[in-house]
Amino acid sequence: MATFLDRLTRPLIDENPVTLQILGICSALAVTTTLATALTMAAALTVVLCLSGLFISLIRRHIPHSVRLIVQITIIASLVIVIDGLLRAYAFEMSRRLSVFVGLIVTNCLVLGRAESFAMKNPVLPTLADAFGNGLGYSLVLIVVGTLRELLGAGTLLGRPVVATVAEGGWFEPLALMQRAPAAFFILGLLVWAIRALRRSQAEAPDYRLEAAEEER
Amino acid sequence: MIRAAFPGGVTLLQAAALLPPVAVAVFARGAGATAVLAVALLTALIWDLVFARARAAPVAWHSVTTGLILAVAVPPDVTLWQVALAASFGVVLGEQVFGGRGFGFLSPAVAALAFLAFSFPGTGLAGAEPAVAAAAVPGLVLLFAAGLVFWRLLAGFALGLCLATLLASGALPAPSLAVSLCFGAVFLLADPVAAAATQAGRWIHGLIAGGLVVLLADMGPVNALVFAALLASLAAPLVDHLVIRALARRRDGRRRHV
Repeated sequence: MATFLDRLTRPLIDENPVTLQILGICSALAVTTTLATALTMAAALTVVLCLSGLFISLIRRHIPHSVRLIVQITIIASLVIVIDGLLRAYAFEMSRRLSVFVGLIVTNCLVLGRAESFAMKNPVLPTLADAFGNGLGYSLVLIVVGTLRELLGAGTLLGRPVVATVAEGGWFEPLALMQRAPAAFFILGLLVWAIRALRRSQAEAPDYRLEAAEEER
Repeated sequence: MIRAAFPGGVTLLQAAALLPPVAVAVFARGAGATAVLAVALLTALIWDLVFARARAAPVAWHSVTTGLILAVAVPPDVTLWQVALAASFGVVLGEQVFGGRGFGFLSPAVAALAFLAFSFPGTGLAGAEPAVAAAAVPGLVLLFAAGLVFWRLLAGFALGLCLATLLASGALPAPSLAVSLCFGAVFLLADPVAAAATQAGRWIHGLIAGGLVVLLADMGPVNALVFAALLASLAAPLVDHLVIRALARRRDGRRRHV
């Protein structure tokens, strides 16, 4: 039970797929302009991650080693097509706002990474815990970035006004930069910085150092 | 040649070079500019202190120059919290995250001004007045004598500006445009931290910036210069890399023939 909970909670911060392994950055940047799109994307990715883990783990002993990547991608792609179809059928407006990024879950390194490194080697229950944990870790980052970008970039949350903007007679001038892609890089970078400052073990050794003589000067 | 032989000497020289334009800007624009100067300096210094404390290092005071440049380039009617935010962005993400002055590849003032122009569309940056341009000249002489401005970069910039205007309109750039770019060219573009490190690279860096200013000229002269300086300084490491590789190839080729 302890390892089960461990698998579920470790990817939240200690082994977060986005901030530690820097996977899935592309979608984390693209869909976080508002909280609603971030939430939808997070849910879609978590579902794909869990189901693909489930199916791959079930048939892991029957997958020939040489074609395993093709089998994994086929399973993931089928699930993504289903999710994309469901979104189009029941949330067409949201599906249009997410545009290609639901389809691009197929190429998300995070999904294939968990399938290859965990689901191929473990039974179903641990795989589900691992997949759900990683999905939650990804969702956590998307929600934090999406909240900050929508709040600072438009003064709203989930479309509802939170702070009165100048245009509505309030004091808050929305930061237009927050609605652009660089802002997601900045927020993600600051998030990684904050986490690595608190959890020293995640910090990488610097690539270059000053020589001692130069440092003294 | 003046040499900054003691720690903080570079900061002192740059701040001294900035004093005349800052004085002119504050005198000409009145109370609004004084408030901008105070907020920009205070914010920049607070971040300097915070990072010095966090790194257990002596306070470097380098961000004084960032604050002074912002005091000239930020228009006096910008809300003060926006000035503080832009200064924080420039000092923290343009300089301190890399480890302080000299470790990064951007001018923190350029980062702050780009942030301001991007975040609050419609902000027309200041510092294009002829009086400010005239006040920048003694600073240019001082920085040049101290080796803190590279003449190849500025010459490349002038050349790029002339060539691009010639291509675009068939005439040389108007003197008024050159005057309005004067302050920015000396203090934003020619920041030695952001400049290319090789001799040929500095020519190319300047040419890129000059061409970009003409392309972006519709934004207003200082806005165009800020974004041109930003893009050119992002390209500078690549330019250096290519120059060094070309030089190495030429040297190896020569050796082979001997």
